[in-house]
Amino acid sequence: MLGLGACNLEVDMNRLIELLFHQQFMQLQHLQDESSPNFVYEVVTLYFRESEKLLRNLRALLWDRESTDYKKMGIHLNQMMGSSSSIGAKRVRNICAAFRSASEHGNWIGCIQSLEVLEHEYYYLKNKLHEFLQIEQQRVIAVGRTIHLSRQ
Amino acid sequence: MMKSGMGCGGDQFPAGLRVLVVDDDVTCLRILDQMLQKCSYRVTVCSRASRALSLLRERKDGFDVVISDVYMPDMDGFKLLELVGLEMDLPVIMMSADGSTNAVMKGIKHGACDYLIKPVRMEELKNIWQHVVRKKWNENKELENSCSLEDSEQQRRVIDEAEYASSVNDGTDSTWRSQKKKRDAKEDDDGELDSEDPSASKKPRVVWSVELHQQFVNAVNQLGIDKAVPKKILELMNVPGLTRENVASHLQKFRLYLKRLSGVSHPSSFYSPLEPNSKVDSLGRLDFPMLNAAGQISPQTIAAFRAELIGRPSDSLLLPPVDQQVFLQSSEGPKFVPFEHRVPVGQPILKCQSNLSNQHLHSSSSLEDSSPSFPAWSSNHPDMSGCASSLEAVSSMRNGNIPVQMVQPFPMQPKSQHAINVQPSCLVTPSQSLHSFQAGSIHIPVNSNSTAPLSQTLANHHARKSSVCVTEGYNTDNSNMVLGYSHPLSQSNNGTTVMVQVSDEDIKGVGMSNAHSMSGAISSSISAASGHADCNNHWQVQNSLVNIGYSNKMPGFARNLHNHVFESKLGTLPEQGAGRNLGFIGKGTCIPSQSAGDDIESSTTDMRQTSACTFDNTEIVKQELGFDFLDDFTSGNSVLSHFPQNGFAGVLSK
Repeated sequence: MLGLGACNLEVDMNRLIELLFHQQFMQLQHLQDESSPNFVYEVVTLYFRESEKLLRNLRALLWDRESTDYKKMGIHLNQMMGSSSSIGAKRVRNICAAFRSASEHGNWIGCIQSLEVLEHEYYYLKNKLHEFLQIEQQRVIAVGRTIHLSRQ
Repeated sequence: MMKSGMGCGGDQFPAGLRVLVVDDDVTCLRILDQMLQKCSYRVTVCSRASRALSLLRERKDGFDVVISDVYMPDMDGFKLLELVGLEMDLPVIMMSADGSTNAVMKGIKHGACDYLIKPVRMEELKNIWQHVVRKKWNENKELENSCSLEDSEQQRRVIDEAEYASSVNDGTDSTWRSQKKKRDAKEDDDGELDSEDPSASKKPRVVWSVELHQQFVNAVNQLGIDKAVPKKILELMNVPGLTRENVASHLQKFRLYLKRLSGVSHPSSFYSPLEPNSKVDSLGRLDFPMLNAAGQISPQTIAAFRAELIGRPSDSLLLPPVDQQVFLQSSEGPKFVPFEHRVPVGQPILKCQSNLSNQHLHSSSSLEDSSPSFPAWSSNHPDMSGCASSLEAVSSMRNGNIPVQMVQPFPMQPKSQHAINVQPSCLVTPSQSLHSFQAGSIHIPVNSNSTAPLSQTLANHHARKSSVCVTEGYNTDNSNMVLGYSHPLSQSNNGTTVMVQVSDEDIKGVGMSNAHSMSGAISSSISAASGHADCNNHWQVQNSLVNIGYSNKMPGFARNLHNHVFESKLGTLPEQGAGRNLGFIGKGTCIPSQSAGDDIESSTTDMRQTSACTFDNTEIVKQELGFDFLDDFTSGNSVLSHFPQNGFAGVLSK
């Protein structure tokens, strides 16, 4: 019964991953091993923290149309692109790319629009990732139990 | 450097590679950390560039490779790259989410050995060890050369080195090292442990912090890059404890760096990023031991030189003083390095003369009268640089050469001497000075003169990178430059005789060290011969052994030789154009190795074209020439590879 549950969860999870992530995310999962059992969780948490910081900064930068520092914005966006692509959040990454090109052109309106899209996409990703992490946790627990039971 | 890393790695080589990762993005940092650990590398992560820099400074030789993000808040990744390139010689891999061609090009220009685009994949990281090995390998090529120069007492050892070199050469000849990375790396390690350890232990070096570097850059900007001399920079910087030597060597590195940046539009630009690193490295590691060695060896070298020179009545008196003086200089080698560029400015150099001026003036004036002494020295020069003679010898030769050279075109500038002094510090590429020397003799504007060696260095480096043959070719080339030089002087018999003697001596005594030295010696003597028809015979008689070896076994060299002869000729007669040069090539074929002459024709054509067209701009010419050499040599590889490297050593030791 519990084993079956784990299987279902896994299927759910994979679908979710395919929906949202690049293959890169799979690689993250492969990187998780005994030496760092919480690696994915750790990385995702870091990603949330950093991304939210970046989003805040971006919004602050766009606060005043006259004194917008596009260069700084570009650097923030570059970092966001880097981290998003590194965890495999390709949609976020693509929006960042569009955002960045808007900022390179000094297109304030475009930047604002991009920021909104970006925030939307980011929070969507965050929710899904939370979901995923929960499922993942359950799966680990379930697998653990299964193993535990089968050993007994 | 890789003692603990690769050295211990043993069979599972890439494992244990010490990697420093710098990225302000902690997410990426964490992922990279994990990935690199999966690759069994030893990872140090760092989220701030400044911290990374201090880590690198604290633990010199503590890392094998650096991976750095491009955009970081405290310090631009390129800045870090630049500083790492200036201070320590490590392969630096840049990475960024920005994969635009501009960004990647910028990274390469700054000397990055690779540019990874985020997301970085595991497969890419698994492969980064290649940069370490590549760098090692290239360094080692240089170390071989410079090691052999390091100490005349090591001449006994030289034979071993020759074997070692030839074994490495064999490997590289056929496969171009990519297949043999592992093996070569191990060999390199072994080779380096001897030569590097002593120098690594002591390095009372100035740490060029960002601030200090900025001060330096400001000073240079204030003076103007062409007019910046260490002394003035030092005054402007006004930093206690900083010596002129420090500034001088840093200035040289800085110029190389600038050169690299500006070199992009030139044909050799693709190679340029690689060059400065090795250069820096040589500065960092080789200087000190060599200078040390200088102290021990100088008396012997002097004696040797004297012995060589005794035969010449007129010069014997002059040269010893030069020699000594040179030694003085050589003990402070790096100090003078920056002057290289100084020369072009052609400023009143006398004031900077410092200790050298008296003696130098003295010697130079006397030298002026007796032009024959120049050829003698110059011929000496290639030999020495190519061979395993002591470092001092080389540096002294250079110094000696330069004053002379400078004196001729610019009697007023004892200082120009400094220009050449640059070379001693770049011991790795010893033969460079010749080029500059030659340039001087051609009466090309001094300006071009100074740049020429640089570009040559580039070529040289590339050459080393690409294959062993290239290195040899390079030496040949240098010695041929001598020819160009001696030509305008309208060599007197005296001078040529000396030349012959010197080369002879070198071939016998020192020439066995390895193939490189061989080529150097031979070519120098050949150049002498080709320069003076009557002497030609004379020379052949004396060096008959070498001739045989040359014609039989070294088609590659012959080939190179021709090219270079050609080039030097070009230098002396820029206005003559292609026809004349061809004629000269024809002459060149008279030289023992006729077989190779034909092969060369095609490549020479290119050369002639480039150099003829652009001769007024020597810098470009040089670069293009360098480029051509590279092509030449690489294409020449096939020829050379037929002949086991051992052949050279064997011929030499006969």
